[in-house]
Amino acid sequence: MNRLAAATGLVLVVLGLGVFAWKVFGYGMPVVAQDPEGLWRIELSITVRGSGGRGSVRAPLPSAAPGQEIYDESSVSDRLVFAIRTEGSNRIAVWRGQIGDLHDLSYGYRVRLSPSKYALPAEIEAPSRELLRSFGRASGSFPSGAPQIAEVLDKLALPPAEDLPGRLRSIYAFLAHEIAVLEGGSDDALIALANRGGSERGKAALLVSLLRAAGIPARPVLGLELGPGSPRETVWVEAWAGDWLPLSPTGAFFASLPANLLVLRTGALAGVESTGTQALSYRYQSLREHLRADELATLMVPPNPIFTAISLYQLPVPTQSALRTLLLVPLGALILALFRNVIGFQTYGTFMPVLVAFALRQSHLGMGLSMVAGVIGVGVMGRLVLDRLRLLLVPRLSILLCVVVLGVTAFAIIGKGFENRDFFAGVLFPIVILTMLCERFSIAIAEEGMRNALARMGYSLLVIAAVYPVMRNARAEHLMFSFPELIFAVMGCLVWIGGYTGYRLMDLIRFRSFANPNEGSA
Amino acid sequence: MRPIRVWRALREQGVLGINRRNSAYTLRWNPRRFYPNVDDKLRTKDLCRRAGIPTPELLAVAHHHFELRELGPQLARLHDFVLKPAHGAMGKGILVVRGRDGDRFITTGGRPLSLGDLLYHAAGIISGLYALGGQPDFAMVEERLIVHPEMAAIATDGVPDIRVVVYRGVPAMAMTRLPTRLSGGRANIHQGAVAAGIDLGSGRTTSAIYQRRRIREHPDSGEPLLGREIPGFKDLLSIAVRAADETGLGYVGADLVVDERRGPVLLEMNARPGLMVQLANRSGLLPRLRAIDLCAQDGRSVDERLDLGIRIAQAAGAPESSA
Ligand SMILES: Nc1ncnc2c1ncn2[C@@H]1O[C@H](COP(=O)(O)OP(=O)(O)O)[C@@H](O)[C@H]1O
Repeated sequence: MNRLAAATGLVLVVLGLGVFAWKVFGYGMPVVAQDPEGLWRIELSITVRGSGGRGSVRAPLPSAAPGQEIYDESSVSDRLVFAIRTEGSNRIAVWRGQIGDLHDLSYGYRVRLSPSKYALPAEIEAPSRELLRSFGRASGSFPSGAPQIAEVLDKLALPPAEDLPGRLRSIYAFLAHEIAVLEGGSDDALIALANRGGSERGKAALLVSLLRAAGIPARPVLGLELGPGSPRETVWVEAWAGDWLPLSPTGAFFASLPANLLVLRTGALAGVESTGTQALSYRYQSLREHLRADELATLMVPPNPIFTAISLYQLPVPTQSALRTLLLVPLGALILALFRNVIGFQTYGTFMPVLVAFALRQSHLGMGLSMVAGVIGVGVMGRLVLDRLRLLLVPRLSILLCVVVLGVTAFAIIGKGFENRDFFAGVLFPIVILTMLCERFSIAIAEEGMRNALARMGYSLLVIAAVYPVMRNARAEHLMFSFPELIFAVMGCLVWIGGYTGYRLMDLIRFRSFANPNEGSA
Repeated sequence: MRPIRVWRALREQGVLGINRRNSAYTLRWNPRRFYPNVDDKLRTKDLCRRAGIPTPELLAVAHHHFELRELGPQLARLHDFVLKPAHGAMGKGILVVRGRDGDRFITTGGRPLSLGDLLYHAAGIISGLYALGGQPDFAMVEERLIVHPEMAAIATDGVPDIRVVVYRGVPAMAMTRLPTRLSGGRANIHQGAVAAGIDLGSGRTTSAIYQRRRIREHPDSGEPLLGREIPGFKDLLSIAVRAADETGLGYVGADLVVDERRGPVLLEMNARPGLMVQLANRSGLLPRLRAIDLCAQDGRSVDERLDLGIRIAQAAGAPESSA
């Protein structure tokens, strides 16, 4: 290696590690993500369009409750007036004003959710009049007075009124076992009952109706289910037993609430709504937080104005989640460079392994790789047929692209049987890369023979498998996101690898016969 | 295999690895702007013709589809020839016509083709079908070389070629690649051709490998492979060196064929010659390249440089006698 390269690499590595060490030892920024349960950053983004008249947009906001803490709230109101209204135990965000062309509104917050269990009291005083008036009566959505409802209760032969837990259980079990959840099923309680199946909302409405008909005050709950993907709006039910007990209309929980459910609103199921507008769209985004609130604070607002200014934790949620994965790519490139220039694996396409590993990071490696292999198989066959047609390069590649898209589509249909939604989500991205891979692979078969082409494919898959764990490692993600200066250290290492002129491991294998001067067979 | 032991052995014998070849030789001595001189075969041919370096004679060229109309009658007048892309690589898109049967053109594989077939093939070449990057390409028609019988004796159904690695205008190492049945008549070592190292001084083969194993006889015919003299080797070296001078590249591989009548003829030049030549010669390139660095000065005549290359080769990696 020449001196200049060695020195440049050293400067970059020292710079990266130096800033990193300063932040860690000087300001106590946490190096390792603790990964506490139940910490989320959530953002609701709304886009409305109006024709210039007055209008308003309302969205339910979560309130502090036993299992849920809300903090770090912030809103973007884009030329509208913003206020938070309290209705009973609910908080509603309201934006109002002249709604012109497009307005981008958002509301973000952090929550800490803990699983809560509720003890069923042995003795329960009768619900107050007020409760019964608000949550015990029949209404349009909850037709607890309907004869069909009474019929069900008759058939269930509920335990006597003193045994409230028993009554709750039989009604809960009826909903869980007798009424199916149908995709696209009805939201209406009576239709769901008649069909023995309905939507989640339909089942919740039926559950509320049955409970009310049995004399138990009940109300619906609108919430968010948080997970690896985007949050999903979901509904469940609360029944009054001295306290509000959460009940799942689908049999998922009884008198407890899982820690991935966030209550947005109780008593009504209205989500984001607007008046005086022409179009409204909204979506929730969530991000798992890996740090406790105090640790987060040192990362968000380090006690140093420069670091505060460049802290990535200040960015909007979508940008943050994009950057979190993006910042892992240099690490992948470093591993790739090691494999190619120090070990000497020949791979297809310079960055192909990193990009494929990046795209597969949300799915199971074996599944992802077999899918990639399957699509390449289809693509190479397509390529063989195309070869006979003798087409020009760009149309030929485009047809190959179509074949690859068809292959992926076919896999989606097959994958449906395995309920593998998430493995599919990742693979959509690298279609173009897969196409180029098919092309390169076919060329290699023609030029270097099947054996060499397959060997090279094997090396490519190996490198993908080596990069993959880094691409989905929460520690690595935290490290790169909290200490982006480490990219300089990565660049330094890359300079060193680039200046490495020694033998590659594969050179040793290729030329190993030089080590035994007398023999012939290697 | 003990990696440390192999590492030491490679170091001691001065085997050149890929990393060092790239950084110390191709990146350092082959300026990007000279690459077209070797990537475009027409340009290589043109450079060589002006310098009086023998290459297969150019019989016709078609740059555009509309020129195919003129190409037809030109081809009809020829008996044997080669139709190939100017930007091709790895032997793709090359059609060798060995003779005529009335209107038909017979390829080396024995396939009879019509004039229409040939023009269709030429159209494919012009469309960039065989150019790896898919850039616009030209169809060129050149004289068919006929392998010298002494070379043909040690090859199976194909054209054996000779690769000379030239560094800073001095020949450093050479090998010949001999097609086999396994390689399907192609002079490609990865596909199973034999590679035999050549002693620069005597022009004789010194050792041979086939499928990573050392061999003494041709795997198909049993012909002895060691100690064979390459006809006109001295001329061949001087052609390689002069061609390297023309391209402007400091570290190149020249590929030549020994023709029955014309003797050594330059087929093509390569800006990133592989490292297999070291295995074929059982000798590392580094001692020779370093010796050339010590002795190289501008302005030496071709003959002086040939002598230098031969002396260095004999001093550095005196290949073991193959008795
Ligand atoms: N003029 C020619 N006469 C006979 N054979 C030829 C001729 N040109 C090319 N060939 C054959 O095609 C092979 C590849 O040719 P070459 O010019 O080296 O192309 P590439 O750069 O694609 O390898 C040669 O090894 C030889 O077998």
